[in-house]
Amino acid sequence: MNQLEIRDLWASIDGETILKGVNLVVPKGQVHALMGPNGAGKSTLGKILAGDPEYTVERGDILLDGESILDLSPDERARKGLFLAFQYPVEVPGVTIANFLRLALQAKLGREVGVAEFWTKVKKALEVLDWDESYLSRHLNEGFSGGEKKRNEILQLLVLEPAYAVLDETDSGLDIDALKVVARGVNAMRGPNFGALVITHYQRLLNYIVPDRVHVMMDGRIVAEGGPELALELEAKGYEWLRERVKEEA
Amino acid sequence: MQVLDKTQVEAISRALKEPGWLLEKRLKALEAFARLSYPSKKDEAWRYTDLSEAPLEQEVETPKGLSLSRDELPELVKRRLEKTDVSGFLVFVGPDLVYAEVPEELSAKGLVFTSLAEALKTHPGKVEATLFRGVYVEDKFAAENSAFFTHGAFLYVPAGLEVEKPLGVFKVLEGGKASAGRSLIFLEDNAKAAYIEEYLSLDLPPTLHLSATEMVLRPGARLRHAHVQTLGDGVWHFHRQRALLERDAALNDLVVNLGGRYARSEVASELLGPGAESEMLGLYFGHGLQHFDHYTLQHHVEHHTRSDLLYKGAVKDEARAVFSGLIKLERGAQKTDAYQANRNLILSPTARVDSIPQLEIGANDVRCTHGSTTAPVDEMQLFYLQSRGLSRSLAQELLVKAHLADVLNRIPLKALRAHLEAVIEEKVRI
Repeated sequence: MNQLEIRDLWASIDGETILKGVNLVVPKGQVHALMGPNGAGKSTLGKILAGDPEYTVERGDILLDGESILDLSPDERARKGLFLAFQYPVEVPGVTIANFLRLALQAKLGREVGVAEFWTKVKKALEVLDWDESYLSRHLNEGFSGGEKKRNEILQLLVLEPAYAVLDETDSGLDIDALKVVARGVNAMRGPNFGALVITHYQRLLNYIVPDRVHVMMDGRIVAEGGPELALELEAKGYEWLRERVKEEA
Repeated sequence: MQVLDKTQVEAISRALKEPGWLLEKRLKALEAFARLSYPSKKDEAWRYTDLSEAPLEQEVETPKGLSLSRDELPELVKRRLEKTDVSGFLVFVGPDLVYAEVPEELSAKGLVFTSLAEALKTHPGKVEATLFRGVYVEDKFAAENSAFFTHGAFLYVPAGLEVEKPLGVFKVLEGGKASAGRSLIFLEDNAKAAYIEEYLSLDLPPTLHLSATEMVLRPGARLRHAHVQTLGDGVWHFHRQRALLERDAALNDLVVNLGGRYARSEVASELLGPGAESEMLGLYFGHGLQHFDHYTLQHHVEHHTRSDLLYKGAVKDEARAVFSGLIKLERGAQKTDAYQANRNLILSPTARVDSIPQLEIGANDVRCTHGSTTAPVDEMQLFYLQSRGLSRSLAQELLVKAHLADVLNRIPLKALRAHLEAVIEEKVRI
């Protein structure tokens, strides 16, 4: 059961139901894409997986390697190996990236992490991202451009090495060079011990992170699944085409 | 039970073998103490404060003449001494100066650092010229201190002497009786020093603590002063301080309230000569039922003076904090620069802060700004930090430290800063 499984998940915010029975499985070792038009509920799913207290889960379950994480706090989920790259990373003035990352790594590993061990890890991650060491002494996301914030999310991904990652529109607002850097980071993580769900509105990112499977979400549920070719088809025909098809099938 | 009367004032003065002028001053203060009533919520400066459980009119402790070796010092002090970088220090246990270490080379250059009682014998003129100039009978508690104080520290730095490393006073409260002490700091022309006063205790039965700090800065003198209280629960701490800054004098002041059941700090800088400058920093973090009051005054009397106040704090549980700051510019105080900011972080829905910045301007060619913010901890930030595996309490600790960072970063005394960070960390986890 080495997989991230979302089972008939219903969820709401402020009384409005956003997710209406999501079923989705990402086996460890694979990278899946979650596509869909704006307002389909993709980002909501990402936040709920991470345990955002703003949302209420009404029905269903989330299983990490066969174990329900629904009752776990966000930090407990993270320590179990789940990582969410935020669509809008939060600015935390007064906290340096280095200090924060080391505390997060210690929390993840459940032990002290020496300065040498920490730096070895961080330096490797910085190289992959082609990022300057000076960023580590900057305050977390404070005054960062959109691209810097996304790169910082991937830096955390590389250092924390989660078993499963959800990347919420990490491509939005990036130029092509930044996009390539982000993709390089995710691809560096690929392997038998890593599963990822890449949430994106556009096919563009999937040129650089080629997914094993593609899921399409509309109006709070998964309406289509397929191989990487599904993303290309959507790019060519648009979401309206799929919407019509879903209607016909119903 | 003893009462707070003339007999007791005379007994204290006699026990300390004080000169006649001081007894006279004490008795005058006693008159004021008897005349003034205890403040109530009807008084504007006390409207947020509930003193109904305060051990007012508590019997005052009496000096015992105790003295200790360094090994015999209370554990609380020993632990602090391991992690401090003061070059000389005095230790008070209750009303007794029990231990002192003052570098010879400083004494040889004319620096005096000892108890008030000792200084009255060795340097009576210097004490008489300055004692009570800053704090005397401003209110009931100030008058009580001036009439009944049993101990104090005295620092005198002669003209031109620059002392780089800080000097420290550690006072340990024993509890159960009222304790009243003073600090008197007198810097001559162009002298420079750093002075840290720390107040420590275990958790105690209800105990009244009165402290008064007076600073006299002659022209060009530069003083860094820190008042740090990490007292135990049960202590009601009333602190009043006032600095008199003459021409081109500079004060960097820090007031820290982390302990006690109740703590009140009334902190004033009087900018009496052109070119005088006062930086006033404050740091507080309340938990449980703690209540901290901060009343500050930036008093610009002369022209071309500057003051910059930043008080930052956090409250959790059911703790309360009050900041009331006044910038006051006299009519002649042209070309004044005065800044005042108070920022508060609220960690629980049952904690509360009241912040009242005030401005009273009698001059027109000035630059003054003041501002205040009070906000709950940002849930988005907490979620973000938690989503990376940090527990909620560790995430809160990071946010509290980040909130207080710009005050901490302005404290160049590294050992003191590390100590404060450690206490803050501990308090987040309580």
